[in-house]
Amino acid sequence: MKKTILVCCGTGCIAGGSLAVAAALKEKISELNADAAVETGIKQTGCNGFCEHGPIVKIMPDDISYYRVRVKDTAEIIGNLGKKPVERLLYRDDAGKRVKSQMENPFYATQKKLVLRNIGDIDPGNINDYIFRGGYEALKKALSTPPEDIISEVEKSGLRGRGGAGFPTGRKWRIAAGYDNFPKYVIMNGDEGDPGAFMDRSILEGDPHSVLEGIAICALAIGASEGFLYIREEYPLALRNVKKALADAENAGILGDSIFNSGKSLHLSVVRGGGAFVCGESTAMITSIEGGIGQPRAKYLYPTEQGLWNKPTVMNNVETFSNIPLIIGDGGAKFAEIGTENSKGTKVFALVGKIRRSGLVEVPMGTTLREIIFDIGGGIPGERRFKAVQIGGPSGGCLPESLLDVSVDFDTLLSYGAMMGSGGMIVMDERTCMVEVAKYNVEFLAKECCGTCVPCREGLRKLLDILTKICGGTGDNADLEMVESICEALKETSRCGLGKTAANPVLTSLKYFPGEYEEHIAQKRCKAGVCGMGEAK
Amino acid sequence: MNIQIDGKTCIAEPGESILETARRNNIDIPSLCHHEALPGLACCRLCVVEIEDATGNRLVVASCVYPVAESVTVYTNTEKIKKHRRTNLTLLAGHVPEVKGVLLAYCREYGVIRDDSHMKAVVKEKCILCGLCVTACEALGNSAIQMAMRGIDRVVAPPFNEPSLNCIGCASCARVCPTDAIDCESVSGNRKIWGKTFSLVKCAACGEPYATVDELDWLKGKLLDTELNLAYCPNCRRRVSVNTGK
Amino acid sequence: MILPRERLLELFQAYPRDRRYALPLLQDIQKQCGYLPKEHIIEAAGYLGVPLSRIYAMATYYRSFSLEPRGKYVIKVCDGTACHIKDSKNVLETLKGLLCVGVGGMDKDGLFSVETVNCLGACALAPVMMIGEEYFGKLTEESITEILEGFRKREAVVAGI
Repeated sequence: MKKTILVCCGTGCIAGGSLAVAAALKEKISELNADAAVETGIKQTGCNGFCEHGPIVKIMPDDISYYRVRVKDTAEIIGNLGKKPVERLLYRDDAGKRVKSQMENPFYATQKKLVLRNIGDIDPGNINDYIFRGGYEALKKALSTPPEDIISEVEKSGLRGRGGAGFPTGRKWRIAAGYDNFPKYVIMNGDEGDPGAFMDRSILEGDPHSVLEGIAICALAIGASEGFLYIREEYPLALRNVKKALADAENAGILGDSIFNSGKSLHLSVVRGGGAFVCGESTAMITSIEGGIGQPRAKYLYPTEQGLWNKPTVMNNVETFSNIPLIIGDGGAKFAEIGTENSKGTKVFALVGKIRRSGLVEVPMGTTLREIIFDIGGGIPGERRFKAVQIGGPSGGCLPESLLDVSVDFDTLLSYGAMMGSGGMIVMDERTCMVEVAKYNVEFLAKECCGTCVPCREGLRKLLDILTKICGGTGDNADLEMVESICEALKETSRCGLGKTAANPVLTSLKYFPGEYEEHIAQKRCKAGVCGMGEAK
Repeated sequence: MNIQIDGKTCIAEPGESILETARRNNIDIPSLCHHEALPGLACCRLCVVEIEDATGNRLVVASCVYPVAESVTVYTNTEKIKKHRRTNLTLLAGHVPEVKGVLLAYCREYGVIRDDSHMKAVVKEKCILCGLCVTACEALGNSAIQMAMRGIDRVVAPPFNEPSLNCIGCASCARVCPTDAIDCESVSGNRKIWGKTFSLVKCAACGEPYATVDELDWLKGKLLDTELNLAYCPNCRRRVSVNTGK
Repeated sequence: MILPRERLLELFQAYPRDRRYALPLLQDIQKQCGYLPKEHIIEAAGYLGVPLSRIYAMATYYRSFSLEPRGKYVIKVCDGTACHIKDSKNVLETLKGLLCVGVGGMDKDGLFSVETVNCLGACALAPVMMIGEEYFGKLTEESITEILEGFRKREAVVAGI
């Protein structure tokens, strides 16, 4: 039986040397094929998510996963094909047992891969791989479906935007579809700027066609024939893979002048971001695509009504689009079976920081933080204790141990002062200082905000000043009052979403870790030993 | 259309902002970045007001860009709004030590106590980055200055921080500035602004310097009305044209 | 590196004269020159018909642009949250020490510049840096020294031929 060797060539594994591993494997295979004992093919795939244990090599259909593979291991891997797996390259589970299949690995065992359905199994550079697994069937189906029904299906699925705010996707499409103002545009927001989040990078690198298919279905639903894919320039591989996928889809007659010969056209172009976090905000991104300076608009107008060049525009995040082919293919009702009442489907999280198994994790909405951090992630390395998890990027909140059993969904997270954001989950242990983390986030936002409105620019400047003082041991309680009024003004009077949420990291650390502020102010002490004025352990 | 502002029924023109309607109806809303000849900039966030929709939901919005609508009721001076204005004024006052003019008046009105205990070595800063100068320059078609940089590093500057080729020395930027932050010096027949020196032209009638040579050259290029006599300052020009019947 | 005029015009020709192409055009110039030379910014504004002040503002607004010449290899040190709590500060200090440069600066041979970036999206390998388009993860003082040596050797080979 033919063996296929899958070499993970996501950014993480490439950093670990997977390209050299792939080359060495190819060489060994060519030597091997001379005697034709086992027929073997090799494929370079996108990210398997378990980047920390990369480079990852999988043997199919035997379902063997090897981790931390080096060039020197390749001869043995090829030599053992069809025989016994190379024991020492297998994952050792929590009980110390070597496990062969990905599904026996606790990191993968409880994940539910919908968005990441193809990643790690297909070659992102080969459109036929995607088509072979049923790709672009949903687009064909959408072509013969009235736009109204496409939108209903998305509404039925309960899908909410994966970029941060969680706006219902179907409703967004319906609003844009309702305007009789052409041309309309569709934009993919791939300016994944939240530090600690990389699911969009992985999807774009590993399964770009699923995103293109979602975009095309959206375009059909709202009546757009032009679209833009805005991708961070820090993601060179994602940019390359998406451009190739786009060209391949156009050459295959799937996108471009006539989608599957339907006479309907869709022209997509890739826009490289300029490295401005605030461009992830929808109106800032629109301004940036128009050629302006990428700052959020002043006016109270929704892009669905007046977006790009003041035309109705739907902007969705990468992960949102990647869900669409599933919803149209299998029906909205089926999708809605997964998740909680108000948050349907799955969510991909980037589980990073002080955690034993870090990487990309896809779980149904409603999974608890404990399940994600301890069951999948294996908890905190060493003997240290869990302290907090930051969810939702720099404008998200830090949740304490007492909230580990809350359900991870849009509304629950909001009610505790955090937010879904794009899905970064940064785990912190007792050696992390929460005041310093608040300062770090504020400093990030102070540099990354556009600098237009007073509460955001001056408020963050002042917050940074105060938090620097507290971390330096010269803060006082009067400062905390000022912090509170600034946070309120930020929340209610800022011009855009960045400012309105900028207070979250400060507010949640004040709410859940008031003791740490007290220690810094009253005792001039940083128990975590980060702030340099207390005694480090 | 009619709109309720602070319990008063106000007549509003469709397309107007809440701020415009309110001010026309003698309801004062503070603002530092608004100029009636320019679009709303929504930067200073002093013009925030609370609006209430038909279902009783309340929201804080910037009145200089929020369009009037019959279905909303506006409250311009609630405790919450006053508190936000005080915070934003405190922040501004903390950043520009030389608080003067309208900013100082607002600080007094809202009871802002100057407190710069948090600030590092305070620089001699007057600019509150409201953007009026940039917008005015753009509106005139010169775009000699822009908001450069981002976040807390933001500044108003000509390209490369060097004298701009596009600047005609008209000083419109300095005139719209609410805090007198743009250095504009006119001495002995010259005007110095944005690092560039311009020769001033004196009015043929009253003898007062009224424009720079570059400004008049630029105007000549723009004007269709060749009858307009650029030898006079705007005041004298009006008088002369009345007298000559032109 | 300043481009010869005809090369610059070639870059311009790839785009219609419209302000929406300002960002990609500046990116192309930076790719060719390693930074945005003042004279090219002025020419680009003229070509696109956009006020120079706007193009200048753009060049200072987007973090990826540099108005100063940079080293042949730009080292981007990630200071995303995951890297931050795994001591990315040390990576930066090590590089600053090894290369005798500050953040944003270029070493004396013009080979390396050091910059920080928000997040490189390789958080599972924190702390991370990127040189050119290559990622390097789980950095330690030793591995950083080795990586720099590797680049220096590569250079020496190129120069030796």
